[in-house]
Amino acid sequence: MHYGHLKMEKYRITINSSPQPLLRMDDHPRIRFSLALLILVLVVTFLAPRSFAQDWIRTGTGLGVEKIRLAAADFQPSTQDPKNTDLLKIFNDTLSNDLDNAGIFDMVSKSFHPTQVPGNPSQVRFEAWNGPPPNAAMLAFGDLGVTGNNVLVHGWLYDVKNVGSPQVLGKQYTDVATTDAARLIAHKFADEIIFRLGGGVPGIAESKIFFVSDRTGHKEIWAMDYDGSNQHQVTHLGTISLSPRISPDGTRLTLSSLTKTGWELVMFSLDLNRAVSFPRMGGTNLSPAWSPDGTRIAFSSSRAGESNIYSADQSGSNLHRLTSDRGPDVGPTFNRKTGAQIAFVSGRTGLPQIYTMEADGTNAQRVTDQGYAVSPNWSPNGQFLALSWFRKYGPGAPGANDIYIMDIASKQWVQMTHDGGRNDFPCWSPDGRHIVFQSSRSGTEQIWTMLADGTKVQQLTFSGRNSQPNWSWK
Amino acid sequence: MAADTDIFLEHGNLGRPLAMSVGLHLALAGIIVLFGVILPARRGAMWGAGGGGDAIGVSLVSTIPLPASSIQTQNVVANESKGLSQSQPQEKHEEPDAIPIPDKATKTKPKPVTSASKAKPKPEPEEETNEVPFGQGGPVSGPYGTFSAAGAKGGFGFQGGGGDFGSAYAWYVRVVQQKVSENWLKYEVDPSIHQANRVYVVFDINRSGQPTNVQIEQSSGVPSLDQSAVRAIQRIDTFGPLPPQYAGNKVTVEFWFDYKR
Repeated sequence: MHYGHLKMEKYRITINSSPQPLLRMDDHPRIRFSLALLILVLVVTFLAPRSFAQDWIRTGTGLGVEKIRLAAADFQPSTQDPKNTDLLKIFNDTLSNDLDNAGIFDMVSKSFHPTQVPGNPSQVRFEAWNGPPPNAAMLAFGDLGVTGNNVLVHGWLYDVKNVGSPQVLGKQYTDVATTDAARLIAHKFADEIIFRLGGGVPGIAESKIFFVSDRTGHKEIWAMDYDGSNQHQVTHLGTISLSPRISPDGTRLTLSSLTKTGWELVMFSLDLNRAVSFPRMGGTNLSPAWSPDGTRIAFSSSRAGESNIYSADQSGSNLHRLTSDRGPDVGPTFNRKTGAQIAFVSGRTGLPQIYTMEADGTNAQRVTDQGYAVSPNWSPNGQFLALSWFRKYGPGAPGANDIYIMDIASKQWVQMTHDGGRNDFPCWSPDGRHIVFQSSRSGTEQIWTMLADGTKVQQLTFSGRNSQPNWSWK
Repeated sequence: MAADTDIFLEHGNLGRPLAMSVGLHLALAGIIVLFGVILPARRGAMWGAGGGGDAIGVSLVSTIPLPASSIQTQNVVANESKGLSQSQPQEKHEEPDAIPIPDKATKTKPKPVTSASKAKPKPEPEEETNEVPFGQGGPVSGPYGTFSAAGAKGGFGFQGGGGDFGSAYAWYVRVVQQKVSENWLKYEVDPSIHQANRVYVVFDINRSGQPTNVQIEQSSGVPSLDQSAVRAIQRIDTFGPLPPQYAGNKVTVEFWFDYKR
């Protein structure tokens, strides 16, 4: 076998063995001085920030983090007005309730409070609060007084373990002297405390829950405060209305309603208190969902035959079809952190399972592995899905739908409800610490809330049948 | 110097290599056809959407912003007991023949000066605290992950070094510690690691509470652990604004992560 040869000529490369220096220090005193100056400047620049008194915190994991032990002392009256008593009762009850519901405090029971309750900073006795029996770390106290038609509230939050500089918060509120205003001020103060001590996450005391109720005879959309008070009717459409979803800015409610031409999406303005115009899609249109920037709505529509996920602008234009596979696709929910993904329910493999896909419909991936999974709801931090799941679905199978939380990245899940009854339609609170859901455990379908670790389950509605709750965005 | 090039003008006989090349290509194509089309009849239109997505059932969900769980003890009512972990009083060894020397015994060590020096303060050694300030304590457990709970004795302690920040705003230090611990996803660490050295991470918190400038100060030697620690801090949007009474523009935090599976 022959190959073409090319003989290489070897070339010799000589390396200069005694290199000439580029620069001789002795010859150029100016250069030497500049160099010294440069070094000096560098040294000063890099060392100077360290020499300023800089505050350091040194801490770490493994130190065991307890819940903050907070004592919410009863606010004291600051004037002699007789209306004080009612307002104080509402205020104190609401404040302790809000702080208790926040889920981040270990509330000191009122029976452990010392008999002398401070109304202003000069009356605080630290040793009475930071020692046993209260053993409090934080104290919320203040006063409330009605003068004429107005109420003035001062509230303080003190770190009672730090006698030198205890004040964390000092706030003043004023409003008309009504019980609603007193409740609102209590919500605001509680939210402020939760914001400060909970690491910058705003409290939910002023948030609202929208839900479907049939207590007037047919299913309409109602609203209430996050703790179940102030339940009032929102829509008066006179027909069946389902799946209310409040917009991120809180001004509009989108829902699905049975109109003369079938199930259509209705856009209801809370400012104008009536439905505003929204195009008819045709087919059966259900379960709308808002993107977190409020510009787009995703919903399921059967206008092209099988139920598929569509997205449209919030005015109803620019309709795009997102899924095209067989099997009904319903119940979309946007990734609340990024708005770039949608989770939905699909029956393409038989029983309904949860899928996620990009917001343009690509890259659909299955999330649940078995059973009957519906009602996904994306958490505000973008990491979890709350869903209603019946893992061992089948004839004669024990159990029923329960609320689960699943970490999307790792597919790890935790079961939240265990007590029986059908639990469905979970919805996250804006702080990511609470979940509102519907449950039939009390006999009829009612709205319940719980902390996102499954504790503190509380019933919010008691009359009629109430379902499909939706928590506001702030 | 003339380059000596001998180029043989014979045509290289490439017949046999060419045949081998074509043959191998055909074999490769055949294998692709065989395994891609003919054999896997089951892998069809469900490509990408199939499979169960390995949903794993475990009892751990990590970054819900709730503090790690209620303490599980027998007695639910808070009482004055110091908890399940009692501090043992130090046994004093007294030498019977020792006569205390009056002068030298009273010399006290000067307190270490921290903020003014140019050198970075050394990380403080791990301190086991037996303090359980809020009634009964014990190992913290519950449905939430065991990052800070495994081996921890309950009770909050912080070493607020440097400046007055730690002593004046202990509640803020606590918030920082809790948020970072909540956002630390232990499953990001290599599963074959059971115990590792501490990793120290330094970052600044600016006025609005955002963590910035996250750096590893001292590595644990396990890259996945170091990265999970850095990501824990980067995952946090805000700790809440710095206390309004604090005059500085930022606070520097040195945070250590103890990993134990």
